Amino acid sequence: MAGWSEKILDIDLNTQTYKTYPLDMEMAHLFIGGRGLGARLLWDMVGPEVDPLSPENVLIFTNGPLTGTGYQTSNRFSVTTKSPLTGTVLDANSGGFWGMQFKKAGYDVMIIRGKSEKPIWIEIKNDAITFHDASELWGMRVFALTQKLGQNNNKRNVLCIGPAGENLSRIAAIMNDRERALARGGPGAVMGSKNLKAIVIEGKDRPEIEDRERFKFMLYETRKLLAASPLTSQALPEFGTVVMMNIVNNIGALATRNHQQTQFEGAEAISGEELTEKYLVKNSSCWACPIGCTRISRTEKVEGEGPEFESTWAFGAQCGIDNLPTIIEANTLCNDLGLDTISTGSTIACAMELSEKGYMDSDLRFGRADQLAPVIEAMAYRQDVGSDLADGSLRLATKYGHPELSMSAKGLEMPAYDPRGMQGQGLLYATSNRGGCHMRGNMLGPEVLGLPKLIDRFQVQGKSSFVILHQNSNAAIDSLVLCKFTNLGVADEYFARVLSAVTGIQYSTGDMIKVGERVWNLERLYNLREGFTRKDDTLPPRLLNEAPTDGPSQGWVVQLEPMLKEYYRGRVWDENGVPTPKKLAELGLANLM
Amino acid sequence: MPLVKLYANLRKLAGTKELPITGATIGAVVNELVKRNPPVGEVILENGKLRQYIVVTLNGHNTIDLETPVTEQDIVAIFPPIAGG
Repeated sequence: MAGWSEKILDIDLNTQTYKTYPLDMEMAHLFIGGRGLGARLLWDMVGPEVDPLSPENVLIFTNGPLTGTGYQTSNRFSVTTKSPLTGTVLDANSGGFWGMQFKKAGYDVMIIRGKSEKPIWIEIKNDAITFHDASELWGMRVFALTQKLGQNNNKRNVLCIGPAGENLSRIAAIMNDRERALARGGPGAVMGSKNLKAIVIEGKDRPEIEDRERFKFMLYETRKLLAASPLTSQALPEFGTVVMMNIVNNIGALATRNHQQTQFEGAEAISGEELTEKYLVKNSSCWACPIGCTRISRTEKVEGEGPEFESTWAFGAQCGIDNLPTIIEANTLCNDLGLDTISTGSTIACAMELSEKGYMDSDLRFGRADQLAPVIEAMAYRQDVGSDLADGSLRLATKYGHPELSMSAKGLEMPAYDPRGMQGQGLLYATSNRGGCHMRGNMLGPEVLGLPKLIDRFQVQGKSSFVILHQNSNAAIDSLVLCKFTNLGVADEYFARVLSAVTGIQYSTGDMIKVGERVWNLERLYNLREGFTRKDDTLPPRLLNEAPTDGPSQGWVVQLEPMLKEYYRGRVWDENGVPTPKKLAELGLANLM
Repeated sequence: MPLVKLYANLRKLAGTKELPITGATIGAVVNELVKRNPPVGEVILENGKLRQYIVVTLNGHNTIDLETPVTEQDIVAIFPPIAGG
């Protein structure tokens, strides 16, 4: 069927063998691809008895029916696994070129099971799958390895782990195309636990499109809409995502020094305006993306992609550091070592607070730009103080007797937005199925930017309906898989139309939202099966009890409890946050209970 | 006199990051700003109203009501269309 290749590649590293078999198309229609399909497959394969870093955990790489078609931003792909950081269901998705190549190799899904006895890398050229010894590659950093294995955009694309993944850091990323990352929740550690260093893909098949004329019209319409929106045609290309620094700081929602403050006096020095004026070399973009938000930045020491807003915040405001060149270098170093920048920066910030308060014996201090690079290196190699930080802030803070100083939700370090200044964002973090995250939905639009309409960011009542809408919509986009920035210029309706054109199956906007809701509920069921309960839908005590003493968010804490009750009702879950049989039946998930 | 802070490409258009501007309301301040810097007006106003996606904050609080009064000590921040994550 057009859109899907209808084929799963299933690789067993224990025996270095593989098989292919048809994708269950009924499942594909219900979950589409990407995150949704990954979650559904994980449900069957990895239960509560499985340690995330054991051979029994799996890596499920998925693309979607739009991937590789040339539709705007149809470059993304996902990896799904049980997170070694949080123990929750995890999906991480990434752009670049590898996802397009994966689709062109003729597979919707690639499952990696087991563990190789020795380091290994896999080469895929459509039906030809080759296992290579990676003993000599083990220990290599991402940039050198990517080059050595023949990265060539559009022809041959490399996905790999760096030293952090090899050393099973629970905040290790899987990197693709040199500087793109499947970052959050530690998928790099799962890959490292399997002794799998890299997957290189060359694909040669163009994905089938059912209604090419209709698809061409959708391409034209989408191009027009993205060009007409000042967000996708001007704002993102001109200043990149880091342009958010000043506005989030202005409204008093920029988490600072491990969330001890909500405004950073050095925000201007690490802003998008500063980056563009002094360090930007040029823009870059993922495959089939007309937006081009990627920055190529240069300092005296490095030149590389980024940094994005969240990375700049994590090493900047969160660590009290206003030295932009050092932040750019820290970002590049994380990419080379294969570390999640948000979790890395926030874990360092946690260590800085633990140390300043005398709970931890180290010289880490807020504002010390000179400490960033050495501690990041130490984390990737589990050396010295880095061995304590390599598994994220919650394990670190727990070890030193103060878990409340980990700025995480379900163990995943939260991003830049301090929810005391954005109440809806607090509910999002608390209920996110993969932990504290801004990519499962983001209230930045309605609460700050007025997208599509401004709502009071301190308001509590009624906020859950916006959160649910965003969560469902994002789950649908993650299942297609497209870049969420496309949604700034193109309404959900267009995604349903282009999916219909590609597959020949008629999808409505309502169908897409239903897919998102189905995915969200399935992920919830997975976490419940893992033992998560209502008490895990929470935030660090600081955000619930300690109000900022100055700035625009002065006096506010997150009013989580009333929002959570309203949220459960809105989701048609019971008072303990368990989806009701009625809701599961409506979503076609009743058979999973 | 209220202080107006400008961000992103508004800085290039106005040739400054911030400037003091007299006015009793947000609207009066914006009108004076636009009078002094017509290119800024092209970006932020349409038929005398704020364009979609323009964010104005008064001391860090979003405001869309141009009649909102301002005082001498207030800071009015104006952001052109921006996005990120």
